[in-house]
Amino acid sequence: MDLIAVLKTVELFDGLEPLELEAVAALCHERTYQAGQVITTQGEIGDDLFVVCDGFVEVLLSRLPNDQAPRTMVHLGRGQIFGEMALVDHGPRSATVRALVNGTAVQIIYRQDFAALCDSNYRLGFVVMRNMAADLSFKLRHRNLANR
Amino acid sequence: MSPIYKVSYVVTGNDHPGTIANVDRPPKVGDIVRLGDQSYTVTEVVDLIPARGEFHYLHATLAPARA
Repeated sequence: MDLIAVLKTVELFDGLEPLELEAVAALCHERTYQAGQVITTQGEIGDDLFVVCDGFVEVLLSRLPNDQAPRTMVHLGRGQIFGEMALVDHGPRSATVRALVNGTAVQIIYRQDFAALCDSNYRLGFVVMRNMAADLSFKLRHRNLANR
Repeated sequence: MSPIYKVSYVVTGNDHPGTIANVDRPPKVGDIVRLGDQSYTVTEVVDLIPARGEFHYLHATLAPARA
């Protein structure tokens, strides 16, 4: 997989210069999941950011502890990010995310690595944080449309 | 770089929660879209927000495709 080519198609990294993309790529850890495998669990501590590169994940929200029928909020496909809320606010995971299809591939970026990169390059930090805000806004717009 | 279409798919007519995904071509009314193991027909496409760079932001409404 040409990781730089993949990252270029991810809105989170839109506007980064080639060298900046290479710096981001150096932080990425690829992991592949089978259908039904849990990637993050609601309520747990977690501080990594995930980028879906192939396949789909589903975002599940439990209303109560030990909820046996969590509600599926959205499916996320290629180019989408999750885990960004905990990355930004340091809170617990807001939802459970699990792979929907076999071979779902994600790139994982650890918060400490990401924060260090942003601290070393304020322009990169600004661009990525702006894009992250735009992505959160897009998700809210999607939610509003889904609730019509 | 080729345009990238970030699409908010909302499904009417069943309990599918909707999908957000990047695609290489913009959806058009009448297209058949496959989400999971089901096929859907695109019934509406609107620009959700203005394009930025190569990224275009669309909303597509889907209905279960007739067999």
